[in-house]
Amino acid sequence: MKNSEFENILNECLDRLASGETLEQCLQSYPEQAAQLEPLLQMAQAVIKVSAILPRAEFKARARYEFHSALQAEATKRHQPLFSLRRRWSVALMVVSILLLAGGGTVVAASNSMPDSPLYPVKLAAEQVQLALTPSDIGKARLCAVLADRRVAEIICMADKGDAQRVELLTQRLDERLEMLAELASAEGEDEGEKGAPAVLMAPSAPAEEAPAPAPAEEAPADEGVSAEGKGRAELRGLVMRCADTNPAALRAMLKEAPASAKPALRRAIFISEIGYDRALAALD
Amino acid sequence: MQNEENLVRRAQQRDEQAFAQLYEEYFDKIYRYVTLRIGDRMEAEDITQQVFLNAIKAISSFKWRGIPFSAWLFRIAHNQVVDYLRRKTKRATAPLDESLVAGDYDPQQMAEKRLDIERLVAATGKLTPAQKEVISLRFAGELSVAQVAKIMGKSEGAVKALQHSAIVALRKSFLVA
Repeated sequence: MKNSEFENILNECLDRLASGETLEQCLQSYPEQAAQLEPLLQMAQAVIKVSAILPRAEFKARARYEFHSALQAEATKRHQPLFSLRRRWSVALMVVSILLLAGGGTVVAASNSMPDSPLYPVKLAAEQVQLALTPSDIGKARLCAVLADRRVAEIICMADKGDAQRVELLTQRLDERLEMLAELASAEGEDEGEKGAPAVLMAPSAPAEEAPAPAPAEEAPADEGVSAEGKGRAELRGLVMRCADTNPAALRAMLKEAPASAKPALRRAIFISEIGYDRALAALD
Repeated sequence: MQNEENLVRRAQQRDEQAFAQLYEEYFDKIYRYVTLRIGDRMEAEDITQQVFLNAIKAISSFKWRGIPFSAWLFRIAHNQVVDYLRRKTKRATAPLDESLVAGDYDPQQMAEKRLDIERLVAATGKLTPAQKEVISLRFAGELSVAQVAKIMGKSEGAVKALQHSAIVALRKSFLVA
């Protein structure tokens, strides 16, 4: 008998066992192969029995809750346009006013503030102005990568303090920045006559190694030269790749140390960062 | 379960109930698959959760072109497992414990069951990656050969051959132990 014939018989018997038939019934159907089949079917039965593991009830309840929260968050997000031109300019104008009223010193002081600081809104407003005043799409995309990097650092800081609410808010902002980064990268790629990568990934996955801290995105140098656009895009890709390597890993590392209250929000942040960077890289391909 | 194609279409239109039905249908299977692949309860829980969060994000990209939804979902799980295994080297794993074994078992049965799971995880560790994938998808994920073939991008014949060789290898491994 050919190997493939025996493999078909074995498979048929496995399906029959799975549908409730007994080992003896299967063996009776193939008396000539019974001696060879029996030990293999016994082994398979043992594997099926042993691998019938059920998840813990408390884990199942928590996972179900988080799944439904994520579903609702996704539905809400879809109803909010992320980046409208009108909103961008109104925010920019508002921040210019803040700059004039408060003076540069406040803005500088705000630049390192964390989300629980009274100066944090000034930091966000200054970022909006910076975005609005950046002329090229590639420049804006680069700035988005830098801002996403900041959000990750802030998420880690807030998770460390057990502030789940702020972690959730920051995660939403991180998502917005990464989505904008992907959109700008796609638009820029089309302008250059390149074929755009698919925006939505079939089976998203998590990037690799653990790292202690987020990538220092601000340090990426600005190049000048003949093919500035191409270089800028290549540099941006390098920057995003570094962030994609280190930022989700840094969030994962934090997950082990964060207080239990912040873990669900932190898990969501990890998920958003992984898929966001994946999408941005796909758009840059 | 209602017609799966209909459920998936509704889930793609953000119908929470439809998505919830798909979730309930596949949650345990995905968990079992992940647990058998990695043998670490805490990580299996995190990964299982992540699989469904990723599915929410990516459901709109799923298309009915002869690929069943289960194949798509297990593909996400497979990617998560591969990424985990890549990262794993430096990390200590949480040992399998009683909580892995749910159900009505007395302490004696629970200890026996735990030992069985540990032995099975150890034995599958000696299989080739493809054999391990087939065993996990077929027996823990409860998928058909046709579905496994779609997930692994192999012919049904190749999957049957892998299944055969994997069971033979597992048996040898158990006999030695």
